[in-house]
Parts: sequence; structure tokens; C-alpha cells
Amino acid sequence: MTLKVLDPRLGAEGAALRPAPPLTSLDGTVIALLDNAKIGTGRFYDFVSEILERDHGVREFIRRRKPDATRPVTPELLAEMSGADALVSAIGD
Amino acid sequence: MSASDRSMAEETTLTSAAYEVADAFEANELFQRNGWTDGLPIVPPTADNVRAFLDCAALGPDEVIGVEPVRRRRITAEKVAIAAVMAGCLPQYLPVVVAIIRAMCEPQFGLHGSTASTGGAAPFIVVNGPVRTALAMNATHNVLANGGRANAAIGRSVRLFVINVLGGVPGHLDRSTLGHPGKFTFCIAEDEEDSPWIPLSVERGLPAGTSAVTVMAAESPHQIMNEWTHDPKEILDTYAAAMRANMLTYSIWEGNYAIVIPKQHRQIFAAAQWSKQDIRDYVYEVACVARREWRSVGKAAVAARKDEDRIHHALRTPDDLLVIGAGGPAGGFGAIVPPWYGKKSLAVTTQIRM
Repeated sequence: MTLKVLDPRLGAEGAALRPAPPLTSLDGTVIALLDNAKIGTGRFYDFVSEILERDHGVREFIRRRKPDATRPVTPELLAEMSGADALVSAIGD
Repeated sequence: MSASDRSMAEETTLTSAAYEVADAFEANELFQRNGWTDGLPIVPPTADNVRAFLDCAALGPDEVIGVEPVRRRRITAEKVAIAAVMAGCLPQYLPVVVAIIRAMCEPQFGLHGSTASTGGAAPFIVVNGPVRTALAMNATHNVLANGGRANAAIGRSVRLFVINVLGGVPGHLDRSTLGHPGKFTFCIAEDEEDSPWIPLSVERGLPAGTSAVTVMAAESPHQIMNEWTHDPKEILDTYAAAMRANMLTYSIWEGNYAIVIPKQHRQIFAAAQWSKQDIRDYVYEVACVARREWRSVGKAAVAARKDEDRIHHALRTPDDLLVIGAGGPAGGFGAIVPPWYGKKSLAVTTQIRM
């Protein structure tokens, strides 16, 4: 006699997300840099923005910092970055 | 079939996918292969036993127990019951597990952050009220370890829930560097019958006689020992020293700490007529460090970033200290249970709906 066991996982809800098409070039773009409020992120982004501007022609950066590393980004901060062509989000330490 | 029978059948229609296996051994192997367990064997969650759990708690399978506040995952009773079956619970434990998960979904608990953090915290669970004796929960010998089925299985249910329902799999959403043994199970009952004090849940605002859980995102407990005094202040100086050590070596930030006080220490406080409030007030005053003390533990690089004369308290106010009477009848051994990350996660107390 066999046994039927139930799947313990919770399935994802809603429609699957599709990634936006990648940018063909960074030249002349506006890039948002979201700081996750960890101690080294600001310094790291200084280097990232320097490289992106010097080597890839990024025109402008929108830099914002989450108020708390353990909480999600607020809708207000997301709205402030919504005009960017792409967004870099910091995760972890 | 009567109308009420049809209604019951509809209420217990389960939606989880089912997999056919040869026997309980193969069921465990399936769960192990898929990473659906904590590494220990599971009890196979069949439709019959999941239904029995849900019926015992008067829950429909699709009833939403809570919503994970960051990823907006709606946690259904069916998935919680599956975790409880797997963990080795009896059906009557389910209301306690449900209350714990409801508490963890409160925004102040910071469920996502404390689950995902490199800090490696575990939910520390304290049970109060009549449910402790009804479920034969352990509040005495070996209270922070193995000592009772209900403690072990209820605490383990939470870990299996985190793994399977939240995706808190080590190396995936769970980014813990080390974690600690409490991530397997970390659930105690307070020894209300052999304590001079009011229960933790009553101190935190629930009526006396109510069954309740208090949940706190916590690091590993640190055991202290003092059998050499009858002065309540000296006893608490030992607990506070462990808290100060945690502030210096782990995290200086203020938040909830729990202290577990065994009978031998409780007798000293009772003789001196010290209430839990007296304990909290004293510990608040003495559990503090100056920022410059970071220099003595290898953290000089960050000590100077701000005012080194600043005094950091372990607690925001005396009320941040959770004082719990529990442990075996002999021995001057107590414990501090430190917070995951200061006030980023706060303890939540909630009633168990029996």
C-alpha cells in the first residue's frame, strides 16, 4: 500500500514577472543606484558610478538610500528613481 | 451526505500537490532529496493527518494565517498544518504554531530581515497560560534543550514553515553565516506554577489565564552561573555582564533581551521580594557599555566613528527585558537570550486561539 504525501511549499501567486529588455548601451543613460543602508555601500557606489561615467558614458545618477537595511524600499523612494533607464539595487553586506 | 457533512468536506479540500511514495521511509527520502526538511526525518504529511490537524484547530485549509510583510506571501492554514505534521506535532499543538506564525507576521517582528540576515537568528518562543499544562510542555529540567515533545515539535514546525513556505533555505533566502542550534527548535514554557511572578504574557498586556505566545528574533542563548550569593543585585550583575559581553562582541544596539531565571535564582528574588519589574529596572541601569569599550574587543576601527563617551544601554527601556522563570529545580544556572539586531525586530506577544 502506497502513501500520498503533500507538497509543503507555498506556490508563487500572480502572473510571472518578465524582465525588462536590456539596455543596448549605457551611453547617455540615467542610472539609479539604490543604497541598502549597509555600512560599505555608499563607498562602493562611489567607485561604481566613477567607472560607469568614465568608461561607459553614463550621463546622470540618481542615488537614494533606504532608511533601514532590514526593510523594503519605500514607494516614495521608488517613485523618485522611476525616471532612470536602469536601477542598481544593493543586496547583502 | 447531509448539508453539514458537505460543508465540512468542502472546508477540508486541500490544494497542495500530492506525491505517491512506497512508505514513510520513502516519503522522508523524497523530502530530504528536495530540501523540504531541516535535515532531520519528517512525519509524512498525508491528506488525512493534515485534515485532522486543521479540524482540531477549526481552521479551513485556505484560511490565511498571516501575510509575510515584505514579499506579500499569503500563508495558508494548510501549509502551516503540513509543517506541523512534518515536525512531529500532535493535532492539538496546531493552535500554538498558528499563533506563533501570526505573531511573526506582525510588522515589528521583521520576519523577512530576521529570516534572511547573515546574523543567523531564530524565533525564540515562550508559551504561557493553560495550554502549557494541557500539552505537557516542559518548563523545568533542560528547558532550553530536549525535554518535551511539544516544545521540540512546536519549535521545529516554525523552522519547517520558514524553509518551505517562506523559502528560508540556507544559501538561498536564508543568508546566515553561522546560524545557531536554536534554528532547529527554540521553544520553552514558563514555569508559572513554581514562580513568585506574574507570567510574561500578562506583563505584556494579556489577561491572566490566557494562553499566549511571545516570539522574539534571537541569537543563541548564553548560559551564566552564580551560586555564590543571596544578593539579588549580585545575581543580576552576572546576567548583565553576559549582556554587556554580547553588546561588545556581537551587537551594541539596544533592543529586546530575554533572561531565563531558574528556580534557585527565583528563590533569592522571592526572599528579597523582587518583582519582575524590579529586575527589569535594575538590569536596565547596569547593562550598558561605553562606546570606547569596543577598543578592548578588537573593534577600535569603528569605536572612533562616533562619540566614544556615549553610553549604550542594552535595553531602550526596562520594558525591553523579557523576564522568564524556567529551568530545573537545582542549580544557579540562568541564561540571556540576545536580540538578532537591536530594535530591528521586536518581540511580539499574542493570544493562542484554542
